[in-house]
Amino acid sequence: MSLAIPNGLDNTVEKPGQRAPLVLGDTTYHDITETVCQVAERPPSKSWVAGFLVAFALLQMLGLTIAYLLYTGVGVWGNRSPIFWGWPIVNFVFWVGIGHAGTLISAILFLFRQEWRTSINRAAEAMTIFAVACAGTFPGIHVGRAWLAFWLAPYPSLNLWMWPQFRSPLLWDVFAVSTYGTVSLLFWYMGMVPDLATFRDRSTNKWRRMAYGLLSLGWSGSSRHWMRYEKAYALLAAFAAPLVLSVHTIVSFDFAVSQVPGWHTTIFPPYFVAGAIFSGFAMVLTLMVPARSMLGLEKLITIRHMDNMCKIILATGSIVGLAYGTEFFIAWYGQVGEEQFAFTNRAFGPYWWAYWTMVTCNVISPQLFWFKKFRTTPWIIVVITIFVNIGMWFERFVIVCTSLSRDYLPSAWAYFSPTWVDWAMLIGSFGLFFTLFLLFCRLMPVINMSETKSTLAKQYHMAHLDDDHAAATEH
Amino acid sequence: MSASETATETVSESEKKIHGVTAEFTSVDTLLAACRRVRDAGYTKTDAFAPFAVHGIDKALGIKPTVLPWIALIGGVTGVTVALCMQIWMNAIDYPYIISGKPFISLPAFIPVAFELTILLASFGAFFGMWALNGLPRFSNPMFTNPRFDRVTDDTFFLFVDSKDERFDQAGVERLFADCGGEHIDTVVEDDSPTKVPSFLIVAWLVSVALSIIPLLIVAKMRVTNSSSPRFHIFFDMDFSPARDAQQTTSIFADNRAARPDIPGTVARGQVQDLSFTTGIEKLSSNAPKPSEHLVAFMQESDDSKTTGGAAQKSVMDTTVWLDKNPRKVDASLLERGQQQFGIYCSVCHGMNGGGNGLVNQRAQKLSQSTWIQPSSLHQETLYSDKYPDGKLFSTITNGIRKMPGYAGQIKAKDRWAIVAYVRALQQSQNASIDLVPQAKRASLEKEKAGVEKRLKEEAEEAQKKAGESKKDSPKPA
Ligand code: HEC
Repeated sequence: MSLAIPNGLDNTVEKPGQRAPLVLGDTTYHDITETVCQVAERPPSKSWVAGFLVAFALLQMLGLTIAYLLYTGVGVWGNRSPIFWGWPIVNFVFWVGIGHAGTLISAILFLFRQEWRTSINRAAEAMTIFAVACAGTFPGIHVGRAWLAFWLAPYPSLNLWMWPQFRSPLLWDVFAVSTYGTVSLLFWYMGMVPDLATFRDRSTNKWRRMAYGLLSLGWSGSSRHWMRYEKAYALLAAFAAPLVLSVHTIVSFDFAVSQVPGWHTTIFPPYFVAGAIFSGFAMVLTLMVPARSMLGLEKLITIRHMDNMCKIILATGSIVGLAYGTEFFIAWYGQVGEEQFAFTNRAFGPYWWAYWTMVTCNVISPQLFWFKKFRTTPWIIVVITIFVNIGMWFERFVIVCTSLSRDYLPSAWAYFSPTWVDWAMLIGSFGLFFTLFLLFCRLMPVINMSETKSTLAKQYHMAHLDDDHAAATEH
Repeated sequence: MSASETATETVSESEKKIHGVTAEFTSVDTLLAACRRVRDAGYTKTDAFAPFAVHGIDKALGIKPTVLPWIALIGGVTGVTVALCMQIWMNAIDYPYIISGKPFISLPAFIPVAFELTILLASFGAFFGMWALNGLPRFSNPMFTNPRFDRVTDDTFFLFVDSKDERFDQAGVERLFADCGGEHIDTVVEDDSPTKVPSFLIVAWLVSVALSIIPLLIVAKMRVTNSSSPRFHIFFDMDFSPARDAQQTTSIFADNRAARPDIPGTVARGQVQDLSFTTGIEKLSSNAPKPSEHLVAFMQESDDSKTTGGAAQKSVMDTTVWLDKNPRKVDASLLERGQQQFGIYCSVCHGMNGGGNGLVNQRAQKLSQSTWIQPSSLHQETLYSDKYPDGKLFSTITNGIRKMPGYAGQIKAKDRWAIVAYVRALQQSQNASIDLVPQAKRASLEKEKAGVEKRLKEEAEEAQKKAGESKKDSPKPA
C-alpha cells in the first residue's frame, strides 16, 4: 500500500501513459494530516511573528488613513478634476483581479478535473477572499460619504424615495463583487469543514476543541454526508466558474460602457478576465513558493504544481500582451481621432514610464516561463511573479489615469499626482491582506487535507478509481 | 485491543442503550468490499465514515442520489425571477428612469444583475440545502462517544450498522465485520448527555436581544417625532458650510471683513452704463469729484457727523452737481414700474402715499421704540425737484441717507430711476391743484372727495366715542 516514490523525485517529467504523482514521498493519509496540522499546532515561528507584526502595523496605517479620510473628506487623495477615479479605483481593480485565482483554481480546474489543484486551492481561495476584502474597501470609501454607501442597495428608502439605477455598470459592479465575495466565502468555508473537523478531533485543548467543533458543524465523515457534500461542491464549482468570468467582465464594463477614449472598447471583458487570472496566479505563486518551504509543505505543493501555474501565467500573460497590441491596432484601424490620440498618449505621453513599466513586467517577464528552468526554480518564480504583480498594478493605473487625464477637452487636461494618503492606503491594503493571510496560516487548514487524501487514494490505486466494476473485477 | 474491551465493559455496567456496531478499516479497498457484503447481507440502516469522499461508496452501500440539484435549481430560478421583477419594478414602473433614451424595460442592461442573483441564490440553495439535508449543524452524535472515532477525520474508515435496522443482531453484525477484516469492532451507545441548552445561556440571549433593541427603538423614535432641539449630527455631511456670511469676520483678510468690497474700478456684469446713470451725478467735470471719491467723501462725512455733529462743514451733498432730469424717458410704463418698485421697497417705511407712515413705522410707534426715527414724508418742500434734483433723490435711494439704508443692492439702477419718476408723481399728487384735472372728470372727483371726507369724519367720531367708553369702563388705578 505504500507508493514507492523517492522523496524529492522530479515529478515535472511527463511519462507517457502514466500520471505524474502529485503527492511526493512515501506519504500516508496520516502523514498528510500531520504535515498540514503541524502548521497550525506548533507554536508560531519567529518569522511568522515578525511578518504578522509588520502586516498588522500596516493594517493600522490603513485604518488610520481611512479614519482621516472620513473625517476630512476625499480631498486628501490626489483625485482631482478630471481624474476623479485615481488610485482608489486602480487599487480596487488590482485587488479584484488578484482575487480571481482562488475561485478559478477551485472551480474551473475542478470542473476540468485538474487534480493538481487539490493542494493549492485552499490557500488560493483564502487569498481570493482576502483580496476581495481589500478590493471592497476602496469603492466603499471612494463614494465620498462612506456612511451612505448603503444607498447602493435596492431598499425602499424613506430618505431618497427612489431606487438604484440598474442600467449603470457601477451598480452591476456592486452586485458582481458582493456576489463573488459571498459565493467564494461559502465555497471556501464549505471546503474547509471536513478539515476543521480534523482540527477538532486532534485538538487537545478544550477551548480549541469547542471553537473548531462549532466551526465544523458536527461533521462526522458519514458517507451520506460526503455524497451530498460532493454534490454541493460540484454545484458550487459549476456556479462559481461563470461567476469568476463575470466579475472581471463587469468590472471592465465600468470602463467599457463609458465613452472615455481608451476605455470605450469591446475587447475589455476578455482582456480584463485574462489579466485577472494572470495577476491572481502571480500572487498565488508569490505567496505559495515561500510559504511552502517555510511551512514544510514541499511534499504536497510540489514543483509540478508551480510548473503548472507558471504555464498558466505564461498563457494568460501572452493573452494580455496580445490584448495590448490589439488595442493599438483597433485604435489605428478604427480611425477615430480621440482613440488614436488616447493610445499614442498612453505610450508616448506624460505617462510613458508607466506604460512601458507595464509592458516590461506583463508582456516580457512572463515570456521567461517558456524555459523549464525558470518554471521550476522557486526563487526565479518569486521574482518574476512579483514583477507581474507590479505590472498588473501599473496596467490599471495606465488605464484609469492616462485616459481620464486627457480626454476630449484639452483645457481640462491634468496630470495625476498621488498624495501621501494614496500611498499609505495602497501599502496599508497589503497590510490588511497579509494580516488576514498570516492569521489564516495559523488558524485554518492551509491545505485541503481531505481532497489531498483522496488524490493519494487514487494514486494508490490508479487502475480502478470511481466505479464498482473495476473494483469488482479485482475480486 | 484494550480500548474495545473497556468500551464494552462500560456499556454493560451502565446498561446504556445500544446505538449500533462499528468496525474500523484502514484502506479504501477493504472498506468498499465490506460495504458490499453488508449491503448484500440485507442491512439498510448502515453508514460508512471516512476522512474523504470515497468514490463508489454510495453504490457499495446502496445510498440513493440526493435531491440537492433541485434545491439549487429552485434557488437559481428564484434568483432570476426576483432580479428581473425587481429591476423592472424599480426602474420601469415605480420610478421610471430615463437613461440615454433606452426603453424603460431594457433587458440587456438588466442581465448582469439577473445573472449575479441567479448564481447567488443557486449557490445558497446548494450550500444551505446541503447542510439542511445532512442535518447539520448537529453537535451531539452518538458516534462521537467513541474516543477512537476521532481518527475518522485522519486516516481511519468506519463501517456502521444501526441498531434500528430490522435485521439487527449484535452478534451477527460483529461476526460479519470480523469476516470482512474489520478491526476494533465496537458497540456504539446512545449519547445520553443532556441536550438541553443551559438556562443561563437562554437568559443571557434574551437579555442581549432585549438590550440590542433599545438603540434601534431610540433611533426609530428620533426619526418619527419632532423636536425643538437641533438635529443630532453623527456625520456633518454638508450641513455646516465653512463659507462666511456677509456680516461675519474672517481671519483670511487683513481687514477681517468676510464680505469683500469691490476692487476699485470694477463693474458688475450687466452694469456697464453711463456713470451718471448709475450715480445720479451730472457731469464728471474735472473739478467735480469722481463717483468713487464722492462715495468715499460721503462715507467719511456720515462717519464725521456721528462723531463731531457734522453740520459745521459744507456737505458734499450740497456741492455735488446732480442730474437735474430723470435720464429715462418718463411715460406711463415707467411710472407703473416705479409704482410697483416703490410698493415693494419704499412703502413699508414711507407708506403707500409717501407720507412717512408705512407699516414699519406704525409698528415702531406701537412698540414706542425710542431710537426710531420716523421716515421722512416725501411731501416736504425741501424734497421737491427744484430743491432736491432727481439725481440727488436717485443717490438717496442708491446710497441711503442718515438713518435710511441704501438700496443699490436690491434695486437695479434703471428701476431706481423709475422710482424717482414715481416719487415725483406722488409729490405732485399730494399738492396738485384741481386745474390739472381735465374738466370732464372734475365733478366725479369732487364727489369722491366729499365722500371720503364724510367717511373720515365719521370714523374719527366713532373712534372718539370708543375711546371715551373704554376710559369709562377701565377701572381707575388705585
Ligand atoms: C427702512 C425704512 C425705509 C425704507 C424702506 C425707505 N426709507 Fe426713505 N427714509 C427712511 C428714514 C428713516 C428716513 C429719514 C432718515 C433720517 O432723517 O435720518 C428716510 C428719508 C428718505 C428721504 C429724505 C432724504 C433727505 O435727504 O432728507 C427720501 C427722499 C427717501 N427716504 C426716499 C425713499 C425711497 C425712494 C425709498 C424706496 C426706495 C425709501 N426711502 C425707502 C426710511 C426708509
